[in-house]
Amino acid sequence: MENVLSIFFCLSLFYVAITSRVRGFVTVLRVQGILLSVIIVIPFIYHFSIFGIILPATLLAVKVFLIPRYINKIILDLDIKRTIEPTIQQFTFLLLVITTMVVIFVVSNILAQSTDLNVIPFASGFSAIVIGIYIIMFRKKLIVHVAGFLILENGIFLFGTAVASELPMMIELGILLDVFVVVFLMGIAINNISTTLRGFDVTALGRLKD
Amino acid sequence: MFEFFIFILLPLLASIFCYFVKNLRIQYSASLAVSIFHLALALSVFLGYYHTNLPFFFSVDSLSKLFLLILSNVYFWVVLVSYSYLQRPVTFKARNGIQYYFLLLNFYLTANSAAMLSDHFGMYWVAAEATTLSVAPLIYFYRNEEALEAMWKYLFLVSVGIAFAFIGILFLTLSAKGSLLEGKQLFFWEFIRNAKGLNPIWLKASFIFIFVGLSTKIGIAPMHSGDIDATSNAPSPIAALMSGSLRLTSLMGVLRILQIIRPTSSYEFAKIILIIGGLLSLFVAFVFMFKVNNYKRMLAYSSVEHLGLITLGVGVGGLAFIGAMYHAIYNSITKLVLFLTAGNIHSRFKSREVSSVSSVLTFMPVTGWLFLLTFFAISGIPPFGIFFSEIKIFEGLLFSDKPILVFAVMFFLLFIFINMGKIIFAMLYKKGENDKPETGTEKFEFIHLAVILLLILLTAIAVTSPDIIYQNIINITKDFGMNL
Repeated sequence: MENVLSIFFCLSLFYVAITSRVRGFVTVLRVQGILLSVIIVIPFIYHFSIFGIILPATLLAVKVFLIPRYINKIILDLDIKRTIEPTIQQFTFLLLVITTMVVIFVVSNILAQSTDLNVIPFASGFSAIVIGIYIIMFRKKLIVHVAGFLILENGIFLFGTAVASELPMMIELGILLDVFVVVFLMGIAINNISTTLRGFDVTALGRLKD
Repeated sequence: MFEFFIFILLPLLASIFCYFVKNLRIQYSASLAVSIFHLALALSVFLGYYHTNLPFFFSVDSLSKLFLLILSNVYFWVVLVSYSYLQRPVTFKARNGIQYYFLLLNFYLTANSAAMLSDHFGMYWVAAEATTLSVAPLIYFYRNEEALEAMWKYLFLVSVGIAFAFIGILFLTLSAKGSLLEGKQLFFWEFIRNAKGLNPIWLKASFIFIFVGLSTKIGIAPMHSGDIDATSNAPSPIAALMSGSLRLTSLMGVLRILQIIRPTSSYEFAKIILIIGGLLSLFVAFVFMFKVNNYKRMLAYSSVEHLGLITLGVGVGGLAFIGAMYHAIYNSITKLVLFLTAGNIHSRFKSREVSSVSSVLTFMPVTGWLFLLTFFAISGIPPFGIFFSEIKIFEGLLFSDKPILVFAVMFFLLFIFINMGKIIFAMLYKKGENDKPETGTEKFEFIHLAVILLLILLTAIAVTSPDIIYQNIINITKDFGMNL
């Protein structure tokens, strides 16, 4: 089941590569949030406990409702143009994403021979990490950078479930809270950047250099 | 539980208190009281008068004792001068930020103390990320374009960096597969004890990711740019806090993973990475000192230089490691003094450009002389502390298996000294075109007194070299399993 959901997660990454709408990123974040929540809730279907449901519920609340809503609000409030303004074309980006994924899947398969790991979630998570970095590198809009950062964070989360590292719930909740506050602060910064520097993309940021 | 309350809960409560009480003087008094309690307890723990018994995810060892004391000391002085700093005139927009200043400062103390005292990688990560969250709004204190850009870059770069460090932590979990540690919690001490059974490939990957990720916060080249922008555009007390303690909080993460890697076959690999990182930082500081024309950025590059030196010392090990630990202490105090005096100059000249500052010794004799003295202190001129720690690092390098390093380091340091000297002497002595004939009637301020006391403290520690510090550093080297 985890493998099937991870493959859906990978498909969402393909969508990220070809979409040209900022809203497309928000939808992907929502879908990924749901997939991750389902992945961590699966073990509790067999051993139900009220205590164990706290983390998936918080994850769902933060990644599916709070953060995407907040990003949507910024897009609406600032009247950011709905296209993403790429620095490379969608098709080239898609090719890059596919090549990266193929390489990561092949390498993970080789690594799995010496270490016991769950290849599909591992490789999907790692792909999301790399693609998150690509988005930050090849897209101009700051709000899309935030989405790229969140895709990277989602990748890390999936990757974490694949290596079966079980962090205590308090720490997992701390991580979620940190990520939420980071996004919140980034939102405030984008708000200020749009009014003070009159721009929504990286070209507005060029004052500080030697 | 008492120490948990003082180190972590009390600053958090003070932070909440500052949210509700808007009077700046009351906020200041509460924050100062918290910092005094914190410093007193950190000192008692360091001196061995108080034995700690921290709950879940937290514990104290020699390394955290030393770094906690450094944090506590830097924080105390920063809070002490903050009130008089906040009295200075700022723009209308910046005035808005003053009400959150002490709130964020207290939260900074909570997050940093938690990071330094944590003995679990997950907890460390959460606390280290929280330190970024506390300091980012403080960087935007002046509410101008540069500060905004600096805050964005710092927040984004460091968040991505910290995410990388988390990948490193997950790799560490992978390295434990098939060993005694499989399925265990990520406690430092447990990993250190059973390090030999870890898978070397994943351990190396883990080290690389944690080191590169945390480099964004430590300010080690080539990941230093966000840190430079942030340190140079933040208000001076915050810049001092970042240079003196925040960088060490992040260095702690690297030291923990190094402690784990130390008894394994991957240690040589980690050493080389640390040495490259250290040398590259010195090289970057060396190159940029030739072209820097903003004195706050110059000080930020100086931080890159000194953290590079510490990383190099840690990488080489042995005597250089001891030197690096001393350097962490001296650098924190010296940076505090440097940024506070630079802040005075900024308030008077309203510019960070070197070309806009002239005749500081004429217009601001007290600040000018103190700035000159601190320049000597940071350049490693005796009797200031950095001289002694640098000598120790050089000695360590010379007697290591890579003695050639000492010449490279000396070469970089010499040119950094010359270029910094050129800039600072120009600021102090050069006559500006628009200089008015008025001469020095600078009022003796509270910040001056704090700077003088700090310089005395710096010299006193260096000259007397207290045995307790030496013993503690020796204990750290023992924890790292080093033979001297």
